Amino acid sequence: MLKEYSSLISELREKLVNCSTSHDLANIKSYYLGKNGIVSNEFLKLKTVSPEERKILGSNLNNFKQEVQNLIIRKNTELSETIKETKQVDISLPGSNISIGSRHPVNLTINRVTDILGCYGFDTVDGYEIEDEFHNFDALNIPNSHPARDMHDTFYVSDMKLLRTHTSSVQIRSMLSSKPPLRIMTPGKVYRSDSDPTHSPMFHQIEGLCIDRDINFCHLKGLLTRFITELFGRDMEIRFRPSYFPFTEPSAELDIKFNGKWLEVLGCGMVHPNVLTNVNISSKKYSGFAFGLGIERLAMLQYGIKDLRMFYENDLSFLSQFKGLK
Amino acid sequence: MKISLNWLKEYLDIKDANQLLSRLTSMGLEVDTVTKLKRDIVINIDMTPNRADCLSVFGIARDLSAVYKKKIMQPKRVRLSKKDNSFIKSVNRKISTSYGLLLIENFDNTIKTPKYISDRLDLSGISRINFIVDVLNYVMIDIGQPMHVFDKDKIKGKLSVRFAKKGEKVKALDNNEYILSSDVPVIADDNGPQAIAGVIGSNNSSVNNKSTSIIIESAFFDPNLIRKSSKRYRLQTESSYRFERGVDPLLNDFALGRVLSIIKDHLKIDKYKYIQTNSKPIAQHIGKTVNMDLNIFDRLLGEKISQTFIKNTLSYLGFKPIIRKNKIKISVPSYRFDISIAEDLIEEVARVYGYDNFTEIPLPLNQRSLNLKSKKSINYFLDLLSSRGYNEIITFTFLPKDSQHNSNVKTSVINVLNPISEDKSEMRTTMMHGLLKTAKYNISRQNPNIKFFELGKIYKKHKDKTISEESMLAGILSGVNYETNIKQLQKPLDFYDLKGDLLSIFPNLSFKGVKNLDHMSSSCQSHILQGQKIVGLCGEPSLEIYKQFNIKNKMLYFELSTELLNLEHNVKYKPISIFPKIQRDLTLVIDEKISGDDIIDAVQRKSFNYMINSRISDIFYSKKEFGVNKKSMTIGLVFQDNKRTLLDTEVSEEISKIISYLQDKFNAVVRK
Repeated sequence: MLKEYSSLISELREKLVNCSTSHDLANIKSYYLGKNGIVSNEFLKLKTVSPEERKILGSNLNNFKQEVQNLIIRKNTELSETIKETKQVDISLPGSNISIGSRHPVNLTINRVTDILGCYGFDTVDGYEIEDEFHNFDALNIPNSHPARDMHDTFYVSDMKLLRTHTSSVQIRSMLSSKPPLRIMTPGKVYRSDSDPTHSPMFHQIEGLCIDRDINFCHLKGLLTRFITELFGRDMEIRFRPSYFPFTEPSAELDIKFNGKWLEVLGCGMVHPNVLTNVNISSKKYSGFAFGLGIERLAMLQYGIKDLRMFYENDLSFLSQFKGLK
Repeated sequence: MKISLNWLKEYLDIKDANQLLSRLTSMGLEVDTVTKLKRDIVINIDMTPNRADCLSVFGIARDLSAVYKKKIMQPKRVRLSKKDNSFIKSVNRKISTSYGLLLIENFDNTIKTPKYISDRLDLSGISRINFIVDVLNYVMIDIGQPMHVFDKDKIKGKLSVRFAKKGEKVKALDNNEYILSSDVPVIADDNGPQAIAGVIGSNNSSVNNKSTSIIIESAFFDPNLIRKSSKRYRLQTESSYRFERGVDPLLNDFALGRVLSIIKDHLKIDKYKYIQTNSKPIAQHIGKTVNMDLNIFDRLLGEKISQTFIKNTLSYLGFKPIIRKNKIKISVPSYRFDISIAEDLIEEVARVYGYDNFTEIPLPLNQRSLNLKSKKSINYFLDLLSSRGYNEIITFTFLPKDSQHNSNVKTSVINVLNPISEDKSEMRTTMMHGLLKTAKYNISRQNPNIKFFELGKIYKKHKDKTISEESMLAGILSGVNYETNIKQLQKPLDFYDLKGDLLSIFPNLSFKGVKNLDHMSSSCQSHILQGQKIVGLCGEPSLEIYKQFNIKNKMLYFELSTELLNLEHNVKYKPISIFPKIQRDLTLVIDEKISGDDIIDAVQRKSFNYMINSRISDIFYSKKEFGVNKKSMTIGLVFQDNKRTLLDTEVSEEISKIISYLQDKFNAVVRK
């Protein structure tokens, strides 16, 4: 475009920026595009030039006219949008382009748990799902003769390697790699050879571990009582009762009263001194507690799901019920 | 374990049944169900595997005595004294360190089992056989010692406790024949094995109504050996259940004396003989002492528990505590296999104190020792994906046998040695399988519009036999872009929807077309890059994959390695220009093979003046207009300066430069 037109366009742009009513815009429009407007006047010049020049000038003029029209139309749209009264809208019609998916209820539950424990200083740690017997069993004070070590319960992938049966193996690795104080939580997949409406060969667990000086059983109770209240969003009737795990001593199980019945929700206890010794932590200097809970079980409780297998069928009619949850 | 309240009352003075139930649970003997009968209550207790000492009514009473703070009554029994070893040939001490027999002659096994015994066996779920067997089972539930009885007339020679000879057989009481291997402990006579020790007896030597001469065996068997036999033959009997957990090794004469006393209530017995052999040490835990500082109780429990309480509790439980100054010494009773260290005793005291009676103390604040953000931030991106219409799924990490047969990674597949079923027998090496299967499942359920993602691991075995796990984020799309809309038409999802989704969530990704990816269609596959690093791949599955999964709908797939992907996104503010932008479209006719990225990369790399953005805004094919193998492509260009308003002429000048550059480089022709 010729320089002349270029400055005319710049001038027009400036006028448009300052224009705020359709009345002003009408004036601008007639100034440029009216019968005696600037564009018409420029076109008159065509008559004064040679046929060769006319061809070039014509093309330039057309571009110029096009640009002026575009700018004015764009401004008009802009003004009419802000100014015009809108026609009655039927707000009951469906919204457009709704695209809301969902997080999986298992992960929703993991997130709830990690959100709460995160507030108490617990960090999420990830670990291997294919483990060796040392990290999954020996270090956790689970002797060779323990029933859990039977082929019956544990999936093996080689003589040495197995699919972890709990996420406690991650705790062992964390204790071996970092010094206390330690507060970690380990959500993840675990595997046991079991399959029926309440057992799945693959399921999810989260475990927590706290190691520090002077950590005692009352701290364990303090944290877990608070945790349950926050998890369920209200005070629940709970009880702690003695139980047995090879890696904790004393060991306990936490039950909550749900619809008039006691339900076991998590296992816990003070970390067994043999476990601390196995990971080179002095049990004279440090003590700690650990706890673990099954995610699916909690999710079933929370959402009223009856069959565990729903979690892995991934039916959209099931999944989409969890849309909008975080 | 099911026990009767009346039976329990024979050993402990219990007044309030409801209080008993809550005390049982609070002691760690969890009450599972309670059945009320006319004159009795049956309590089903869920016993943890460490509490072998409570697998009897007497054992439970003994445990409860600590919380009731009452002495328990002793069971009535005949005091037996050892006569000789006449009936025992040999006892392998690896199998049994304490082996007792009670021989009774002129026995009448035809008499009816007393009503109180048969009633209580019914309550405990034990079937009735004949008088002597019923009495033995009764005493087992009563005090916890499993026993076996042989018909003496069917025994040839003397008994020995030994390992089986390979191939020896036992026709057992369950009517099955077991072929034995050389690590199975048996009780044998001159004819061969008459029982799998501690597990089950043989038919050959079993007693019936007509038996008149009997041998009752009461022994301590090595728990591990019994467990092995039981597992090997998948035989869990009341006897093996107790032996593998640990039966009091010093109970033989007590148990046989108790049996004799019950028999004598109903039969006149004049001729019996007690035989017993021991080899010491009978068991490692017997006589073991634990010395501990009393302050460990407070340190670990967090609550001050009085010395008196500690002492009384441990006394009731049979630990014979001795307190001197700040130390306590206890000795482990023969029935407690589960006690060896201070912490075990702390639990004993704590459970009698009642876990619910401990104070709740808030966890003190600490300095965080680790701070691993990555998990948290991936979660954020998963939320973004779900708000863009994706449903998160979780699929099994094990796949059907041979399902990864065709892939190049066959040798890296990790097999489960003992899979639960054939369709869950190898670990996945790709996320594609689970996503495709889920897509297919949903399509078959009238849900053809799909956007799924899964975060999970893939597992690979390497040449050096090491195993690796990699965390992946993968997804699949199929169907149309939106459910019905009022104004807009539905459009089938295509590669650009996938690309748009990923770029909306990870803005710093780029895509590079490739040709050699496994399982992907050669006409639609791309690496996903972050900077120069390949972090994933995407595109359409290959025809073979569609065929393998029998899928008839078009799919788009992506996978990103969350280990390679950098989730940190640092922003450094750049000053913004207040001067207007000038936008121009440039339409070119170019060779069909030239990609959008070719053009954009070229234009951007050359860095033309004032140009701040360039993107492909339209593409159009027409053989008629442009000829064969040609296409029209429109580039949207944006110009801006941060010091002043640009003149149209300046922009036009740059456009001319761009045109001539593209003409030279790509033989591009500006479309009029």
